Amino acid sequence: MQCEVKNKERAGVINPILTCQPCGAQYASIGIKECIGIVHGGQGCVMFVRLLFSQHFKESFELASSSLHEDGAVFGATHRVEEAVDVLLMRYPHVKVIPIISTCSTEVIGDDIDGVVLKLNNGLLKEKYAGREVHLIPIHSPSFKGSMVSGYDVAVKDIVSHFAKKDKPNGKINLITGWVNPGDVTAIKHLLSEMQVDATVLFEIESFDSPLMPDGNSVSYGNTTIADLTETADALGTIALNRYEGGQAAKYLENEFDIPTIIGPTPIGIRNTDIFLQNVKKMTGKPIPASLVRERGIALDALTDLTHMFFADKKVAIYGNADLVIGLAEFCLDLEMKPVLLLLGDDNTSYPNDPRIKALQEKVSFEMEVIMNADLWELENRIKNEGLELDLILGHSKGRFISIDYNIPMVRVGFPTYDRAGLYRHPVVGYAGATWLGEEMANTLFTDMEYKKNKEWVLNVW
Amino acid sequence: MPYHKFKCSECIPEREKHAVIKGPGEDLTSALPLGYLNTIPGSISERGCAYCGAKHVIGTPMKDVIHMSHGPVGCTYDTWQTKRYISDNDNFQLKYTYATDMKEKHIIFGAEKLLKQNIIEAFKAFPTIKRMTLYQTCASALIGDDINAIAAEVMEEMPEVDIFVCNSPGFGGPSQSGGHHKINIAWINQKVGNVEPKITSDYVINYVGEYNIQGDQEVMVDYFRRMGIQVLSTFTGNGSYDDLRSMHRAHLNVLECARSAEYICNELKVRYGTPRLDIDGFGFEALGTSLRKVGLFFGIEDRAQAIIDEETARWKPEMDWYKERLQGKKVCLWPGGSKLWHWAHAIREDMGVNVVSVYTKFGHQGDMEKGIARCEEGALAIDDPNELEALEALEMLKPDIIFTGKRPGEVAKKLRVPYLNAHAYHNGPYKGFEGWVRFARDIYNAIYSPIHQLSFVDISKDEIPDQTSFLTQKMISDVNLSEEVTASKELREYTGNYDTITPLRNKTYPDFPAEKKLSAV
Amino acid sequence: MEDMMKDRVEQLVDYIMKNCLWQFHSRAWDREKQNEGILTKTMQILCEEPVEKETPMDKVYWVDAVCLADAFKKRYSWLAALDKGEIKLLMQGLKERMDYLTITGSLNAELTDPHY
Repeated sequence: MQCEVKNKERAGVINPILTCQPCGAQYASIGIKECIGIVHGGQGCVMFVRLLFSQHFKESFELASSSLHEDGAVFGATHRVEEAVDVLLMRYPHVKVIPIISTCSTEVIGDDIDGVVLKLNNGLLKEKYAGREVHLIPIHSPSFKGSMVSGYDVAVKDIVSHFAKKDKPNGKINLITGWVNPGDVTAIKHLLSEMQVDATVLFEIESFDSPLMPDGNSVSYGNTTIADLTETADALGTIALNRYEGGQAAKYLENEFDIPTIIGPTPIGIRNTDIFLQNVKKMTGKPIPASLVRERGIALDALTDLTHMFFADKKVAIYGNADLVIGLAEFCLDLEMKPVLLLLGDDNTSYPNDPRIKALQEKVSFEMEVIMNADLWELENRIKNEGLELDLILGHSKGRFISIDYNIPMVRVGFPTYDRAGLYRHPVVGYAGATWLGEEMANTLFTDMEYKKNKEWVLNVW
Repeated sequence: MPYHKFKCSECIPEREKHAVIKGPGEDLTSALPLGYLNTIPGSISERGCAYCGAKHVIGTPMKDVIHMSHGPVGCTYDTWQTKRYISDNDNFQLKYTYATDMKEKHIIFGAEKLLKQNIIEAFKAFPTIKRMTLYQTCASALIGDDINAIAAEVMEEMPEVDIFVCNSPGFGGPSQSGGHHKINIAWINQKVGNVEPKITSDYVINYVGEYNIQGDQEVMVDYFRRMGIQVLSTFTGNGSYDDLRSMHRAHLNVLECARSAEYICNELKVRYGTPRLDIDGFGFEALGTSLRKVGLFFGIEDRAQAIIDEETARWKPEMDWYKERLQGKKVCLWPGGSKLWHWAHAIREDMGVNVVSVYTKFGHQGDMEKGIARCEEGALAIDDPNELEALEALEMLKPDIIFTGKRPGEVAKKLRVPYLNAHAYHNGPYKGFEGWVRFARDIYNAIYSPIHQLSFVDISKDEIPDQTSFLTQKMISDVNLSEEVTASKELREYTGNYDTITPLRNKTYPDFPAEKKLSAV
Repeated sequence: MEDMMKDRVEQLVDYIMKNCLWQFHSRAWDREKQNEGILTKTMQILCEEPVEKETPMDKVYWVDAVCLADAFKKRYSWLAALDKGEIKLLMQGLKERMDYLTITGSLNAELTDPHY
């Protein structure tokens, strides 16, 4: 009985867990203020990603396409990037940052987006837009490599490295959130504020939960500014919450500007939040205040009501982005649950060497599988054909039919969660996230007990 | 020429001829925008790609098929679970999607072996499914994988399976419409004529260009069955792969969305002599006339008339309840393609709303001809609209409601214009007599939403109305109505159920024994 | 007189444009056949002349013609006062106008594409 780590054996994908790199690059792009990314490829690569974001956040975000058509695919389409940049700059006078995001098609035909950027910098921008601050940032995110997770990681790194410039120390820490929700950003900012730590949050997407205002406002966008990005080189340290979503940028800052760096652990659950706060304390010298002791106490109080009575030994399957899946698994273990199946939705070769995965291999004493490069069929097939019995599924909305068809309760977590209302508003990180996750899991199990009349009377005297 | 120039697009002269306002005395020979031209890069157009037009729009509604995309995983993931085309086999086609997961090494060395492995794996995973469609993507097209050859090889080795190949990479054409075209032509070239169907009626149709959004197809097929008509196949919503191989045996092609499926009807006409009849499944008058035409064609007009009479008696009083309350409301009809003409006139006739603008994301000039023809004077027609133009138009037109897609709907929300999903519907189906009432009800509930009204109040500046602590839709909608209307005993609000489709699936139909020798025309 | 005729043709055109789809097939050659087939049969119905409807194509034109003739009769009471000769003239005018609007004067650049 132990934890087995392996790759999916099938060659293909049946019901993917993650989408491709350009989506991740676009997610990074919308996190920046005064920025509209141009995706160099077919129009679907943008149209559907915008739809996906709007499904998840119930908001609209601006992203442009170079609209690759047949002639471009045959003869090359860098001229369409040039035209796209010009059209965008003419019509969106506030735009200062334009990531140029490549896709599989334009990488296969070998369009040189770095060359185009150079050409535009020396030509169009000097001639037509002299005096206007414009940053064109080539981002190579071919769809046939990695996943939306690595696409995000690459884009964050390329954007940070474009701007980062050493000036004088600013006394702040860089906080790279990874692919999170507005609720997570709120939770992290709250923790930092309680510790009186001044941080530059990259990429600052709290505003994705945008209000409906009396004056009308048509789009949502992130709040990370050019100044924020530039100053990253002056920070007293960098904390990247996630290893695979922003870790590269943290390492870049460390290597290039000697900025002390801590990557992870993803602060999901009480224990990982404790470690996060300790890391912040180490980096800034600021103490962990009594207010957080109290908040932690509230979370522990809530979870204590749930763990041994309801959660103990419950079998859980978790799928999604690796950092999220691992963090959730660790939290489940603390809650006395058995995360028997972890599905990591891409083929990152560093997963087997991830110390968190190694720890699971070394220390977990029940039967557990970690599948890399997994798809959702890895989960469904085990349930349908191999007798896997589960009490709970943790994952995003694309797996909803497994829960529905096999009558297994599911807590929606991660990205995207379009089949539940407002989940982006709730954190999974920090003490608040631990409380929310624990209570959401419990309430989901309770509803299921009632629906199936499975000892539903237990709840009479809880 | 009555072209409308958007301020935001003054700097891109190529947009000059893409919007028109049909003024007094003008007709289609003076007021028609350009259409289906390459998109202007960076304009933030709403268009999708030719892959999605083929796979996502037309291919995937086929219900008993493994839909596999040969390429990296994103095309598959992105076009999965974003539509509401249901099926009566527990939505197999909605639930499962397949990607060959092309990686860098395949780009360099080719991915035909990978494709074959994938096909075999997928059939193994779903042993009861014997049909597959393979979709080319940008990546597999550019590296030149011979998908047809692999499909043929597998069919040779596995005689019980049948595979359809759709070569429609994302870059193939100005919009998703390029993919509609390619999959139409590929289907008739590869598959039609392959299967001889069992003919069970004197009256046999193909129902074409219908995607069963929230059950539209099942509503319409119900009418056809009540008339004793055999619906041999539906292209493609809730449609079956093998039924669609026998399209050549129908007596009539009944066409709904000409934008996405007129190609196959035209080809069926040329190759098999099957006539094409364009119909409207939306609108009391238009739908009634459509059923009557199908009835006339087979000499069973009385059966059509019986349905029209029954359905009209049942639903017209409910329709009219909403019509009284929607009279004069302004709507921007901003769908993808066909609904701009399916809806433009019918919503005016049946609901009394004014279409102040139509647009098409991916349509051709033919769609605009129909749309503009069906609008009243002064409507703004926009081809391939972009984000800023849409905002400018909304600012100018100040509509009471907008019918558009999910994401543009979020933009409208922020501008405090209520939106209805024109592609997926809110509480559909919208086809059929009852469906049309459901549409009117959704429009009514959106326009007279109490929450919507609150979004106009700025509590920091405005007087906060304190006479009432709640409002209902009716309290808002009936303010200026005459007592004759509000106290009417004839008119009533919608009385149907949330789910109108499941009961149809268990229905039995009158037996109309075939009279003629059962063979094809 | 000519003005009245023109006005009446426009009324009929308006009905077709708002309610019908048959006039907008995708290619010029199909539109010619549609206009010819359906409007001729409509004229024959209105003039109470025999109508060919044996072949599938004739039948499908006839189907649209029946509905069109009914709609015309229902909506345009002035039609009842016309004699056969006047109806033929009117329908000739309608056909010419429809051909102009949908074919010869059409701005639709795809009408002449040789493929579907």
